Amino acid sequence: MLDTYRQVVTPEGVALHLRAAGPVPRALAYLVDLLARAAIYVALVQLLAIPFGKAGGALLMLVSFGLTWFYPVLFEALMQGRTPGKWALGLRVVSADGAPVGWMAAFARNLLRVVDALPLFYAVGLTTCLIDPWGRRLGDMVARTLVVHAPRQTLLHEAAVAPAVAPDQLLLPHEQAAVVAFAERGPGLTAARQAELADLAEPLVHVRGQAAAARLYGIANWLLGRR
Amino acid sequence: MKQERFVERHQAEWREFEQWLERRGDSARNARSTRREWRGIRDDELPARHRRLCQQLALARRRGYSAVVTDRLQQLMQRGHSMLYRTKPAHPRRAVEFLLAGFPRLVRAEWRCMLAAALLFVIPLVTIFVAIQVKPDLASGLFPPQMLAQFEEMYDPSGKRDLGRTQEDDLEMFAHYIGNNVGIGFQTFATGLVAGVGTVFVLIFNGIMIGGVAGHLQAVGHGDPFWRFVAGHSAPELTAIVIAGGAGLRMGLSLIAPGQRRRVDSLIHGGRRGAKICIGVFAMLVFAAFVEAFWSSIGWMPASIKYAVGALLWSLTALWLLRGGRNAAYQDDEDAA
Repeated sequence: MLDTYRQVVTPEGVALHLRAAGPVPRALAYLVDLLARAAIYVALVQLLAIPFGKAGGALLMLVSFGLTWFYPVLFEALMQGRTPGKWALGLRVVSADGAPVGWMAAFARNLLRVVDALPLFYAVGLTTCLIDPWGRRLGDMVARTLVVHAPRQTLLHEAAVAPAVAPDQLLLPHEQAAVVAFAERGPGLTAARQAELADLAEPLVHVRGQAAAARLYGIANWLLGRR
Repeated sequence: MKQERFVERHQAEWREFEQWLERRGDSARNARSTRREWRGIRDDELPARHRRLCQQLALARRRGYSAVVTDRLQQLMQRGHSMLYRTKPAHPRRAVEFLLAGFPRLVRAEWRCMLAAALLFVIPLVTIFVAIQVKPDLASGLFPPQMLAQFEEMYDPSGKRDLGRTQEDDLEMFAHYIGNNVGIGFQTFATGLVAGVGTVFVLIFNGIMIGGVAGHLQAVGHGDPFWRFVAGHSAPELTAIVIAGGAGLRMGLSLIAPGQRRRVDSLIHGGRRGAKICIGVFAMLVFAAFVEAFWSSIGWMPASIKYAVGALLWSLTALWLLRGGRNAAYQDDEDAA
């Protein structure tokens, strides 16, 4: 319940990182979808029912039936697990092994909304969602799916190129990682912030301010093997 | 190996893999149209490339390379994974095969639940029907008087209008039947998850309602138009409701009596089969709504033709459910799962 970060080991033996989404973003996504469906419905009332009378009304009934049962299924199966609401909230449905959802799974998980919505306001779904370590509702368990935060494209830069400088003491692995991480993220920060962070490494670089930052970049380049 | 050397050595491979994903992986149509111009990795090489990438990712993590490298490899790996392990796309031929063979097989495989559902539905129906014949006052205990009057008006034997409705167009009734019946069918199934209680309730409730209406109309002498109306679509509609109920009971059972599976695995198993059955139920109910809206309502058709068509549909439904997919070499790959 507290840890929503999940790893699935693929057949190749490496871990897939899945960040299970909790009830709040999912409920918000559901609301967005609800509004979208309402908007489609209202638009169709204007387009079909009013100008075409009875036949229009019949078509409208068919469409609202489709909106109820197949709107999420179509989007999830065709748009890589994203309904417009999930897209807006940065969520997506994947099957439990990290692969995209298929038609069957999308159909099953949405069919069982009937049960998750019992007795009022998705109470069953919310309860199971809080108990389950993957944050799944019953429909997700049956369909073997889960809702995850879609991996955002991370904006990481390569470390800035600087003359490589050997550090004058042995660095432990996590210290090396910290120096390299600084060199990769530093260029995105203001000069003052870079200097402030570099000050923390004074015992290593023996200077402060801009000079410390420059020296850290040098060490990072040395660690990365640019020589 | 230092990170920089590692990246230098494998950079080209990663680029090729990325290009393949962008140009050929994302859209099958796009991939087909550019098959001849494509000069990158061959499609059949992709699994091997993916495994190499996974190995490189594991190495990069093991050696503690920075986020620039591991995150990039991680993202590539996840994209490759979702490409290699996606489910088969839906194909029209597979859909037809499922409806003709797979669905009847699934239904037969769960025949005990189907039988239970049928009994839960038919026993109240017949009981109420007979009871109302004996004691017609019972109907007014089941329905409010306005509703009874409405039923009587709908099946008025002297009236010239269409059977089973007041004034609406066929298309409108079709839409109405679909929305109504498919909703009931799906709910019959899904509420089975609550230990089967919901399904049992829906089945008995619908049995009583239908038996009540039929019994009342028969008792007040409006039986002929009612039976003429019902003869056609009753076969697909009633069997579909019973089958949805059977699937719901199956799912409820897999919660109560998971057998040698973990409870959650048993639910998954029951739910997947149930959802498949619901696809068939959906098709049956759409067909039933079609018959109900465009055939059952024709008022001038002689009773003999109506009953003949009804009998034909009943026997076709029975034949389909009992014989469908029996001798086919077709094996559903998820049957075993």
